[in-house]
This record gives sequence, C-alpha cells and structure tokens, in this order.
Amino acid sequence: MRRCNFSRPRIPHLLLGLIVALPTASALEVRLPPETATFKPSDLPGYALVQRDCLICHSAHYVQYQPASSPRAYWEATVKKMQKPFGAPFADDDIPAIVDYLVKTYGTD
Amino acid sequence: MAATVLAAPAMGGRPPATGRIVLPFQNGERDLVAFPQKRPLIVLTSRPPQLETPFSVFDDGPLTPNDAFFVRYHWSGIPTTVDAQAYRLRVAGKVNVSLELSLAELKRLAEPLELVAVNQCSGNSRGYFTPRVNGGQLSNGAMGNARWTGVSLKKVLEKAGVQAGAVQVSFGGLDRPPLEASPRFVKALPIEHALDGEVMVAWAMNGEDLPMLNGYPLRLVVPGHYGTYWVKHLSEINVLDTPYDGFWMSRAYRIPDNPCACVEPGAAPAATVPINRFNVRSFVTSLSDGGKVPVGRTTLVRGIAFDGGYGISDVAFSADGGRSWSSARLGRDLGKYSFRAWTVPFKPATPGPYSLKVRAANSRGETQPMVATWNPAGYMRNVVETTNVSAV
Repeated sequence: MRRCNFSRPRIPHLLLGLIVALPTASALEVRLPPETATFKPSDLPGYALVQRDCLICHSAHYVQYQPASSPRAYWEATVKKMQKPFGAPFADDDIPAIVDYLVKTYGTD
Repeated sequence: MAATVLAAPAMGGRPPATGRIVLPFQNGERDLVAFPQKRPLIVLTSRPPQLETPFSVFDDGPLTPNDAFFVRYHWSGIPTTVDAQAYRLRVAGKVNVSLELSLAELKRLAEPLELVAVNQCSGNSRGYFTPRVNGGQLSNGAMGNARWTGVSLKKVLEKAGVQAGAVQVSFGGLDRPPLEASPRFVKALPIEHALDGEVMVAWAMNGEDLPMLNGYPLRLVVPGHYGTYWVKHLSEINVLDTPYDGFWMSRAYRIPDNPCACVEPGAAPAATVPINRFNVRSFVTSLSDGGKVPVGRTTLVRGIAFDGGYGISDVAFSADGGRSWSSARLGRDLGKYSFRAWTVPFKPATPGPYSLKVRAANSRGETQPMVATWNPAGYMRNVVETTNVSAV
C-alpha cells in the first residue's frame, strides 16, 4: 500500500481547505486556485492509467506542454523515471500502455 | 478563468490581466492565473505551482515586484499554512552545537544583510532550445531581481560551530514529495561557499516578508548562482563530512564539465558537474519582436543585463543584425549580483526591418555567444538575443 504525505489530488480543493488545521494569529495561509488542466480523452487503455498514476503527484501540464516533436524514447524514459527513482506506484506491465497513450496523444510517433 | 485567447508577444507588450498568452515556440499557449499573493502570471504547471513572469514586467524597473516574481517547485507537497511563531530552522550535523532557531532568534543573531541579487531558474528560456529539450518549457521569465534581507549563512554556521572535516552543507525546506518513496528536494553547497559571507538566509524580499510561493518565511539566497540552490521554506541545514549524494545533486541539475557547459546537439556529455554560477545575459525590454519604431527619430531602447556576480562592464547594441555595434549607457549600479539597466539611442534612417541585438560583457571579459549553445538538460541559455522591429 502506498503511503502519501499529502492528500490525494482527486479530493476537491474545497474539502482540502476544510481539513487544513485552523491557523493561529501568526500564521500565513494561502489557498491555491483550482487545477484546470486535464489529460486529453482517448480510447487508448493508457488514458485511464495516466489519470490514475500521473495525477498523484502533478498536474497534466507536465505532459501537455512538452514539444510535439518529443520522441517515443523521451516518453518511455520519463515514465520509467517517474517509477524509479521518483517512486510512482505503477507496475512494469502498465508502462507500455502509458507510453503509448503519451506518444500518440502528445507526440509525433 | 477567462476563456478568451489573446496572442501576446513573449517580450514586451502588456499581457491581459488574466486569460491566455502565447509564447513564441511550438506548443507555447499558456494560461495567465493569479495565485495567492501574485498578479496573473504564466502558468507552466499548476500543481506544484510553477509560474513565469510576463516579460513586460522587466521593463518596469530593475527590481522585480514580489507579486510578479517567478515561482518554481519540484514537488506538490508545498506548505500552504506556515505559523511564523512556531517556525524553527534546525542546524545539525558536524557542528559543535545543534540549533533550533525561531525566526526572532535568527533575526537577532547578527546585523541583517541587504543584497540585491538576481534569481534565475537553471532552465530559464528552455523553450527556445533547438533542437528542443524536454522539461519545463519556459520563455525568458523564470528570472527576477530583488533586494533580499537576511542574515549571512556564515553567522548561522558560526553560531553552531562548524567542526573540522566538514566538506558540504545541505539544505532542505518544508516542501515534500507526495509519495514517501520520492527523493526529497535537498541541495548542497561546498563548505567554503556556505561560509563565504554572501550566501544568506533571507526573510524579506523588496522590504516585505517573502510571499508564500517564494519560500515564506525563510529561503536561502545564493548570489550569482542558479535558483536550484535557493531552497524555499528553509527548515534544515546539515553540515556534512562527506559530499551529499541525493538525487537533486548527483543526478539532476548537472551540466557538461567544460567551459561552455555545452555539447553538440544530441550528444551526451563525457562528464558533468553540478550547475553553479550564472553566465552573462542581456535583453531588450522596451521593444518586443514585431514592434514598431518611428523613422528618422530617436527611440531610447531600454534593457537589462546581468551575470554571475563579477559585474556587467559593457553592453553592446547592434541595430543591423550584429554587423556594427555601439556601447549602451549603463544605469545605476545596484550591486554586482543585480540586473543592470541600460539604455541606447536608436535612430533608424530608413523605413524597414531592423534586427536589434544586445551583447553584454562582465568584468572578467566573459560575454554571450552569437550562436546558441546546447546541452541535454536545456540549462543556461545565454545566446545574444535578437529583437526584430520595423521602422515606419
């Protein structure tokens, strides 16, 4: 079972606000704006996987703003880097489908 | 968020208050969103927040306002509530006495220092690399210049008493990866650098508390060095007797180990070292690509230049694509780590296109390449910038 230091992203931000400890008078508290970036919908099996695995740690912007010329080798190396050393909790068997979705949706394979 | 798409130039030109901006490289459409304590900035990523300063801000003066200053995080577990009274900075490791300093104690530790210094992302301008390099696709706005107030790290380390055999000092902040398996963002400096009297633990920027997203209540300021070392929400300082080998030092933020920090496009460097000092850069700020200037009349062109702390000694300006050059007039000197403003008169005699170039040099004679260099991580871009305008 994975252990999270922080709340999972799928909890709406309004709820996150409610579980933040009440600040004292000397505290600075900020509320971040809602996340709007989403992965491009697709019938590819990797679409469900990127939503399950990538959004644990970061917004879809990290994928969305890469150059369209990014080769398959980039996406493959990056997905593997997310698993090791970055610790993303997906199985080796999921890697081909995730890479395939990223290449076909955001790259020019 | 406004859905209107407004094309705006990357440099100069007022961006809309909120909405969209188009950076001049493939896939450069970005949102402009106001994060807490910030005006609308260019969103590179929203989680964690990575925000770029619209380039027009750099024409407003040599100091970058706090609400326009760029934001860069590595992990999304960022603090959103910080209690200043409960905050503690821990100093441990190879020291005689471990410390747990409150903000009040830190501010009383020694005479406060004030220093104007540029902070710049290692990957500032990565979006302009050819061939393109993956990573944060930034335009030129991941930099800023502020007046920092704090105490020298040297005084903090002296209070703890550095033991013989210390070789490095590592720095960690409150931000955390969302998964425990991920490598925490921790950076290290050689002990001599940490003790140079200029590296600073800062609590204020431009005379005000640091904004949360710039590291409230404390951040490391490492003058002349890339922002990766400027650890935010600084909470842990460790004096080490062996070099720190965590991911963010040993695997990331490394540059080719040669004088240009560059390789042939697509090549892998033979050896790498941790990124360190800024190279020389300069920009026109008063005109942007596609801008117009009047024929037969003098336009005063404005801009900025900076380097890694040796001080800008000359800014050369060309209005004919680099065939002939004249020296710009340097503005007020705010210190060797600051943006240096410059101005130069430009009087186009005939209508048509003009290719403006600007090339700065520092007191060591280091300057900017006419042709962009390349490295696999897309760091340290400092090519001579070109601004294409037309005289009408």
